[in-house]
Amino acid sequence: MADPMIPAGGYSVFTALLIFMIASIGLGIYAQRRIDRSTFLQGYFLGNRALGAWALALTATVQSGGTFMGFPALAYSHGWITSLWIAGYMMVPLTGFAVIGKRMAQLSRRTGAITVPDLIRERYGSPAAGAIASLLIIVFMSCMMVAQFKAGAIVMKLAWPGSDAFAPAAGDVDWAYLTGLAVFAVAVVSYTMVGGFLASVWTDLFQSLMMLVGVMILLLLTVPTVGGLESATREAVAVTDANFASGPGYGTTGRAFLTPGLAVSFFCVWVFAGIGSPASMVRVMAMDSTDVLRKSIVLLALYNCLIYLPLVAICVAGRAIIHHLDKPDEIIPRLALTVTGGLPGGSLVSGLILAAPFGAIMATVSCYLLVISSGLVQDLYLRFLRPHAGMREVRLVTYASMALIGALAIAANVRPVKYLQVLVVLSGTSSAATFVAAAIMMCYWRRATAAGTIAAMLAGSGTMATLFFFGWLQRFAWAAVDAGTGSAFLTSIASALGPDPGIGIADPFRPYYLLGVDPILWGLPISAAAGILVSLCTKPPPEDYVARLFDRTS
Amino acid sequence: MPDANEDPVVATGRREAVVVLTLFLIALTYTVGYCAWQGYKRSLDELTFVFGFPDWVFWGVVLPWGVCTIAGWLLSTFYISNTPLEPAAPPPGAATAETPVDG
Repeated sequence: MADPMIPAGGYSVFTALLIFMIASIGLGIYAQRRIDRSTFLQGYFLGNRALGAWALALTATVQSGGTFMGFPALAYSHGWITSLWIAGYMMVPLTGFAVIGKRMAQLSRRTGAITVPDLIRERYGSPAAGAIASLLIIVFMSCMMVAQFKAGAIVMKLAWPGSDAFAPAAGDVDWAYLTGLAVFAVAVVSYTMVGGFLASVWTDLFQSLMMLVGVMILLLLTVPTVGGLESATREAVAVTDANFASGPGYGTTGRAFLTPGLAVSFFCVWVFAGIGSPASMVRVMAMDSTDVLRKSIVLLALYNCLIYLPLVAICVAGRAIIHHLDKPDEIIPRLALTVTGGLPGGSLVSGLILAAPFGAIMATVSCYLLVISSGLVQDLYLRFLRPHAGMREVRLVTYASMALIGALAIAANVRPVKYLQVLVVLSGTSSAATFVAAAIMMCYWRRATAAGTIAAMLAGSGTMATLFFFGWLQRFAWAAVDAGTGSAFLTSIASALGPDPGIGIADPFRPYYLLGVDPILWGLPISAAAGILVSLCTKPPPEDYVARLFDRTS
Repeated sequence: MPDANEDPVVATGRREAVVVLTLFLIALTYTVGYCAWQGYKRSLDELTFVFGFPDWVFWGVVLPWGVCTIAGWLLSTFYISNTPLEPAAPPPGAATAETPVDG
């Protein structure tokens, strides 16, 4: 099938986004009423620990704007192998909730902790451990959040009515992008500021359900259009090559997208990112009861079944419908506009589908905004600057911190860093390598010490940073050697690190794949080994202190 | 050795974590093992399709995904225990912020 004419978004998409933003602000105002009836900090940052099964299931694990925009781009570009790339999500409902969920919720109740650094500090009685955790979380979350602002601004720009939605911006100043950035930032900061944790969770739940509806509609519209999945695969292979239907995946850069070693890595990435993400941990801490956790496992398992593999099927069919895209990131919007073009009310359906990833971005930003703000207010301001601040002051500082974070995110995105995506990948996987071992030790190992936990966090993040740095160094040294400008020192570095193995995503800032696997497979065990060794080499924690957190209370 | 005085949430949580992480290792080994064996460097001529999926995708990803979904339901219904979570203590270190001192 030849590439069809692809219509632009127009007013329907813009209206859908507008409705979505208004609904989110409405949820924020409603959430604020709930907070006003309770104590401020616990209500604002933890929703009074009353999260139900639907809210926990569909908001606590790793679903972000990136998941719903970046992943379809990969499926469109590389083909069926992305089903293996994302396969770790089959275990995320169980690992995300059943490994530390129950115990995190109990520990946070016993200590009264409302943030992850709070929990670490109280678990060991160590302000240093809490401060280091807080600092690492603020750095990781800030990197991830800034990139999401850019994604939100781009969706707003694409949806702007009266312009060609997919046309590149002309001129030096991209006013459509800047306006999109401003509208997106004001909307998301205001509803998060007003409604806190509950507003963030409810919007997240709302977008998750919208995404489910969008994916199902798109699946029903695209796959039959090309005569079923087998026919779609054959057509897609005809316009690419056989690797589109097998490993290591289709590509035009000469790189092997997913070798078996990277398949092992990514299976672990999704699972451990779900356990170790501070944003996920906070939501698990907020669950109402263990019954909620059990129901959430079932709900999320069903949800993941209906989202990820259908998305791969949609994008394989998308390749058969739209043979070539310069920007694969646009596959979902373009496909939505294409397949709904001839339907009665099709523009509304495409608006609905396009609003879903926008909602995912808003929900992700809102969640990160809260985690960063809680870090600044609870872990730094109240801990070190004004321990005796009253409620009004805490409210003002919280609102001010959110406005400040929003303003900084806008400033960082006016001229966005070209390779911001690398910070997102580095921060996301580093967060898992930093906190998984520390969290398991905190929950289940009585002998774990504050020094051991600090060692686990620093060893995990240090390993990740080192391997990403080596990846950069490898490219830098080989570029110099290939150009004939490399000094003896650079030549020795290039030869020590070896040539680029030609695997993984064609990212200019890819990491160093030691033994052909992703850095997270090194970061996790090194973090665990450091945590165990340093704990065993340091003085055991006082037994009465540990008993308070590990033993029966009566 | 389990401590008799240890809280049931700690004991059951630890046991459930071990079971879930074992299941994770089995799923990882089967899925990546099967796909590495059957899913790489296949030509379209030798590929068969099961319910529209390339054979290796169906047996290597779709089937274990279904099994893990059922395992999630079975474990959460019959194995993962329900244990009461006690009422929350006041937030640490910032007790005054919880009471309207000046507002």
